[in-house]
Amino acid sequence: MALIAGGTITAGQYIACSSKKDKYAHITGRINGASAATGHRLREGGFPPPEETTHMHTVIAGSGAAGLAAGRKLRLQGIPFKILDLEPRPGGNAASGENAWSSYPLGAHYLPLPNLQNGDLLELLREAGILTGYDTAGLPIYNETDLCFDPEERLFIRGRWQEGLVPQWGVEADSLSTIQRFLAAMDHFRWVKGSDLRYAFDIPVACSSADPQFTQLDDISMKTWLQQEGYHSEELQWYLDYCCRDDYGADTSTVSAWAGIHYFAGRKGKAANAGPSQVLTWPQGNGRLIQHLLQFSQDALLTNSLVYQVTPAGDKVHVDYFDVIRQTTCRIIADHCILATPHFVSCRLLPALQPAKGFVYSPWLVANITLDHIPASSGYPLSWDNVVYKGRSLGYVNSQQQTLLQTKPEKQVISWYLPLDHLPPTDSRRYALSLDHTHWVKLITDDLELAHKDIHRLIRNIEVQVWGHGMIRPQPGFITGVALKQAQNSGYDNIFLAHSDLSGISIFEEAFFQGNKAATQVISRS
Amino acid sequence: MEILLFFSVFVIATCGLIYELVAGTLASYLLGDSVTQFSTIIGAYLFAMGIGAWLSRFFKRDLLSWFIQLEILVGFIGGISSALLFLLFEHALSFRLILYLLVGLTGILVGLELPLLMNILKNRYAFRDLVSRVFTFDYIGALLASIVFPLLLVPYLGLIRTSCFFGILNVAVAIIVLVKFRTEIKWASYLKAKAIAVIIFLGGIFFWANDIMTFSEGMAFRDPVIFTHSSPYQRIVLTRNKSDLRLYLNGNLQFSSADEYRYHEALVHPVMVYSQQHRQVLILGGGDGMAARELLRYPDVEHITLVDLDPSMTRLFRENTLLTRLNHHSLQSSRVTVINADAFQWIKQHKTPYDIVIIDFPDPGSYAVGKLYTTAFYRQLRHCLHDSSVMVVQSTSPFVAPKAFWCVNTTLRTCGYQTIPYHTYVPSFGEWGYVMASPGTQPLRQQQEQLPEGLRYFSASVFPQMRLFAADMADRPVSPNQLNNQVLVQYFEDEWGKYQE
Repeated sequence: MALIAGGTITAGQYIACSSKKDKYAHITGRINGASAATGHRLREGGFPPPEETTHMHTVIAGSGAAGLAAGRKLRLQGIPFKILDLEPRPGGNAASGENAWSSYPLGAHYLPLPNLQNGDLLELLREAGILTGYDTAGLPIYNETDLCFDPEERLFIRGRWQEGLVPQWGVEADSLSTIQRFLAAMDHFRWVKGSDLRYAFDIPVACSSADPQFTQLDDISMKTWLQQEGYHSEELQWYLDYCCRDDYGADTSTVSAWAGIHYFAGRKGKAANAGPSQVLTWPQGNGRLIQHLLQFSQDALLTNSLVYQVTPAGDKVHVDYFDVIRQTTCRIIADHCILATPHFVSCRLLPALQPAKGFVYSPWLVANITLDHIPASSGYPLSWDNVVYKGRSLGYVNSQQQTLLQTKPEKQVISWYLPLDHLPPTDSRRYALSLDHTHWVKLITDDLELAHKDIHRLIRNIEVQVWGHGMIRPQPGFITGVALKQAQNSGYDNIFLAHSDLSGISIFEEAFFQGNKAATQVISRS
Repeated sequence: MEILLFFSVFVIATCGLIYELVAGTLASYLLGDSVTQFSTIIGAYLFAMGIGAWLSRFFKRDLLSWFIQLEILVGFIGGISSALLFLLFEHALSFRLILYLLVGLTGILVGLELPLLMNILKNRYAFRDLVSRVFTFDYIGALLASIVFPLLLVPYLGLIRTSCFFGILNVAVAIIVLVKFRTEIKWASYLKAKAIAVIIFLGGIFFWANDIMTFSEGMAFRDPVIFTHSSPYQRIVLTRNKSDLRLYLNGNLQFSSADEYRYHEALVHPVMVYSQQHRQVLILGGGDGMAARELLRYPDVEHITLVDLDPSMTRLFRENTLLTRLNHHSLQSSRVTVINADAFQWIKQHKTPYDIVIIDFPDPGSYAVGKLYTTAFYRQLRHCLHDSSVMVVQSTSPFVAPKAFWCVNTTLRTCGYQTIPYHTYVPSFGEWGYVMASPGTQPLRQQQEQLPEGLRYFSASVFPQMRLFAADMADRPVSPNQLNNQVLVQYFEDEWGKYQE
């Protein structure tokens, strides 16, 4: 009897499986974009006149890392403020989500060890308990559970996983020595100073040397520079494309040599209890830092609030916003305003601000994938960052890396990153917004199958996050150009701009720097 | 026709002896002491056959049908016997009772076979002929069984498949008789269906024998495997030969009953001698209860908290009589509380101080286990210690993996512990190392003289010698093991990898 029953089940399953054409049909999930529809209302305009008016010392538009950093600084000075954001949850690119098994980043997922000169950032980390003290040599000691656990990185190359992301496995000696020469050059750039005695490459970018012998590197593309310098190695070329796509959302032919070198040379972090290349990471990615920053703005934060117009009015500034939930418009009359929004948004809010040339944004896709387990494959074991050599995506990060448990979680969650750089930004943005979930599932799963055959059987859910304007692209001439310099100023004494795109590089450190800078300006006027 | 019937006798005899041999072998695998096991099994089996022979007098009609029924039943019970015994070994409170019940049942059924068959044949042959032929084939079958069993079956098929195979042969006899005498048999189609069902069932066990008792895995161990269990955390395997019982977790030897006292006495008694108080003790890992056994020798140990990840380990060592004999029922003691939890999580949640902490984790051969040997772990553990608490960490072999061993020592020192590294020789492991540690600022000093009765290895006088490290195991510069470098796992893999090449 049991046998017959068993037989029927198997036959039934077989029929069910073979009749199902789409082998990915079992994968559930949704597309969760930055609220593009609400945001696009900015373009359409036509908001009714404000129904309510309130007063506030300072208004911050945008609750990403820059806006929240500004909020923190103001709170520490006891200055009252409100933060408005059109999204239902704060955090911008550093936002995070969670499901039953893990928290996960929706965007940025790590912070490299900060440079020792970056006192503000070190102070933030100390305040958050991430930095626990300094050793006798003055090197910071980081909380052990916040440093990325070993094994950190692996690369799937020529059919197996190797340790580290710099290609090694099966790479020819010539190529290896080219890679070594490149890395040595980067180490030189890391510590070299310009005629103004500043580091050639520093974080924040604003602290970098203005010495032309370095800034002229911004005039050419990274790819051109590599050719000029005679770095001919297929593997190195791939690795650098990977790095540039990772930090700027575009490859070496698109970003400037200055930015490409900055990726390596800008980072000079040191720690008493970690190597210089190590990073701080958390299951929720940089959501951990947002969580800390939010403590300073909790009662000041208005989400679902789309700022649509900022109007200077004498020594005041009128900030008009649309309450997405109540569907009403409101006005805050403020003494100061900080626009912690990307430049292209700021220009729409403040009509007097002219859109500057050269602000190009890379669209991104981040997918959080829940699966039964990550299948074992040959070579180095599952690491924090797992990259496929010459893959379309940047690979995936294991969200549960920072666990202290002995057992594997019931379900694993990985965050998969794809810079949409196959088309010009506007086209790929349109492409990304037009794709439905089924297509994303296919695209993502096919990419994972390169290193993990038949992984689709293990995947349960894919949450897709589309970032239409994911990060600023430092194309040649942008970081050192006039346009970026001019874009720093609003043209008004009481309106300040704070966003990482004003640094030309979209990283947490820059957003934090810009936020602090704007807040300092508000404080100095108060 | 005649040939067929006598061939049946031959098969029946072979099967009958095979079941007996399987039972005897299983008993000596699982219970040890092969002489006793074999002789009692043979005795019980023959006696049960006698009962069967006596019972045969009550079968008066439809003998052929009954004979076929009987063959199917013998095939079924004999066929599943070893799979059943392997599966029950883990769960049964009294394995012996089940073993003898099964042997008795098989014996009775096998004992019925020949008398029944002779009754069937009595009208077809002269009595003299009948007796002579039946017994001739019977004894030839027995000879064949006794030769193929040790030479072919056990090494190539394994016990589970052997009994299935012969169970199928038994049922095949039933089918042959069924086909040849179909006109004389009642309920022929019912019997046929039943016979086929049993053959399919036994065929299934034969096919999936590896899942029941991984035979190929059994080949990887030195001794016969008597128990396997895959828990969510690890694969537990027990092997046994005539002199010792071995426990493997994920293929790594955890102890051999022949010399585990050396390992466990060296693990437990030095910390006891070096600490002032013994009242509250914490064991992390050590689900086999052996460390607890050593601790329970001390009357001043008031309470032992044992935290082990795997409930199937602690249940096995609390309930299985074979194993409780080894750990002296330590896990049943009223002074011991067993908690199944992840050690790192548990110490984060419990901050009451213990006088003694015994850390007996598996070797740091994976990144997961490696976390239990990190600075983060030892710093967290500080909250479970007072200033004069003493702990000990089993630290792999200082001979095979000196860097790994000294890495544990360096890691503890980095966290501010005073340490005493020491080692001992455990024949089944080789040279084995431990690190004793205490959070105090003063170097560790001996606090007690008194050791409990009954120790076979450790004494205060051997300890100075255990603390000496010859040049090939001497201290060397290594990095502390941190979550963000996991150097210990790398040292361990490098050194053991080379050693095993």
